[in-house]
Amino acid sequence: MLFRCKNCGGNAVYSPERGKMYCPHCDGIDSGEIEGAGKKAECVNCGAPLEIKEYNSTCKCEYCGSYIILDERVEGEYEPHLVLPFQIGMKRAVELLKEEFKSRVFTPGTFLAESTLEEMKGMYVPFWLYDYKADINYIGKGTKVRVWTGGDTEYTETSYYRVGRDMGIDFRKVPVDASIEMPDDVMDLMEPFDYHALKGFQAEYMSGFYGEIYNEGADSLEERAKRKAENDADILLKETLNGYTSLMPEHKDIRLNRKEANYALLPVWRYLYKYQGKDYPFYVNGQTGKIIGSTPVSKKKVLAYGGTVFAAVWAALSFLIGIMEIL
Amino acid sequence: MRQYIRYFRWIFIVTGTLAVIYAGLNLLHGTKSFPDRANEECLTGQRVFDYGDVLSEAEEEKLANLIAKREKQTGCDIVLVTLNESLKEYAREKEPRVPYEEFVRVYAEDFYDSNAFGYDRPIGDGVLLVDNWYRESDGRVYTWLTAVGRADEKYTAARIDHLLDNVYRYVEKDPYRAYKTYIDCFYHDMSGGGVFSFELPYWLPLAAAALSMVIFVIVHWSYKKGKKTVVPTAYVNGSPQMYRREDVFINKIVTKRHIERSSGGSGGSGGGGGGSHGGHHGGGGHSR
Repeated sequence: MLFRCKNCGGNAVYSPERGKMYCPHCDGIDSGEIEGAGKKAECVNCGAPLEIKEYNSTCKCEYCGSYIILDERVEGEYEPHLVLPFQIGMKRAVELLKEEFKSRVFTPGTFLAESTLEEMKGMYVPFWLYDYKADINYIGKGTKVRVWTGGDTEYTETSYYRVGRDMGIDFRKVPVDASIEMPDDVMDLMEPFDYHALKGFQAEYMSGFYGEIYNEGADSLEERAKRKAENDADILLKETLNGYTSLMPEHKDIRLNRKEANYALLPVWRYLYKYQGKDYPFYVNGQTGKIIGSTPVSKKKVLAYGGTVFAAVWAALSFLIGIMEIL
Repeated sequence: MRQYIRYFRWIFIVTGTLAVIYAGLNLLHGTKSFPDRANEECLTGQRVFDYGDVLSEAEEEKLANLIAKREKQTGCDIVLVTLNESLKEYAREKEPRVPYEEFVRVYAEDFYDSNAFGYDRPIGDGVLLVDNWYRESDGRVYTWLTAVGRADEKYTAARIDHLLDNVYRYVEKDPYRAYKTYIDCFYHDMSGGGVFSFELPYWLPLAAAALSMVIFVIVHWSYKKGKKTVVPTAYVNGSPQMYRREDVFINKIVTKRHIERSSGGSGGSGGGGGGSHGGHHGGGGHSR
């Protein structure tokens, strides 16, 4: 399908800044109208053939630049339950990246000037959001140690406790990306998203952006979600066990019961910079602006700063020792 | 450059402040000077007695000049005696049961007292180092530092050890340097030395600086992709429910341990002194 501006006939897209449909051709607001295309693999606007990759749910026509949403990939089993619309637009994402680069002291000064922006894409990344009911059972032995001295004798009192916990934790929407193309570690670092802005799926949010359907089903990706939930549950359990000098667990069981798995699209900007022949991909959370990606490091600069650290620490310590010797 | 200064501003401020304090304290100490020597009964104006003939005349003169300067700064007489003769008979005559290592002590105290050294009064504030190059019949060479008055108050056993260690570091190869170290070390101790009764190894700041540099370079050698900013409660609806919380006391065990009180002692050096002529001698010795 294509969102066509009813005023000028151009391709209307979703504008994160405005939070509405917008026509970049005539500045029309909320002027997009759906024009369905069925299952045809050609551009609704110009009729040119579309190059559709295996998991794409939207694509951009190479000839006329229209963003086409593939009907059958946002319907039926591929219809997302939820979508988190972009809140950060392309300009803002670039500004955020520039600020980030400037704040990175050891990024070569020439990185921004000499690197070329190879690609910038706003993408709706498919995610599975899992709900779990976690039941935690813990039994262990705890000790509390108290030491005091009286006269020439040191007393050590070790008290032993039986420690038991039964807890329940209601996990909601533990996210796992369902895109093979997106690196898992990067997507994990992209968290957290603010789920309050989640909306029921509407295709208009996708106009102007790239998108994918889930590459794998909820069951096959569940392990990652379980690991996350288990880690969190373990930390929350430990928080209830403080105050002991030592703990010997005798039984620990974290059981996760899946309640639901929702298919959601979450917004990510992907910028690819090329610098001195190497690719530097950056990912910007399309909602919060969090940036993930590593910039090159000027080794010379690090060494020079390291030299300064050496000189400064040496001088400061020498002066400090000198002062203490005099006092 | 602006970025560089901003990055290191706190380190620069701290280092600068320390430098200013250090310079200020040094300046304060440099100007500190004692009133003129009040002891008129002292029998000699000489301070360097090279009976052992281990110094050249020029070296003796240089040491005497340095002593003259340091005496004013410390308000103490500083005396150096080198010997190359057995003190066994001499010492045993005075103190029949004195052990080998204290022959030099007897000599040092006697020398100090009989010459009536002391900056403020006869047998008053001052310090005397006797280095006897003669190998006594037990095969060792003995050295003694005697301290009187304010010097005695300052010189703990540890500080004496430290000073004599410094002297022994050079004495065999370069006696002049060793005795110069004695004078400077004494000045250093008298004009400060409050916090440390021993000197930290000179390489310590260097090693700490090198370590800081290595850690800094390793940490900054490459950029991480990003930080994890998800809290454990990020995906928890409400707060965790606690169905059962059990912390039941079972029993307790009390163990006792006797604390060994360490009795301090310093090997290789002996303290003490006699008050033969009214002034108390503190001191300590080393042998090589």
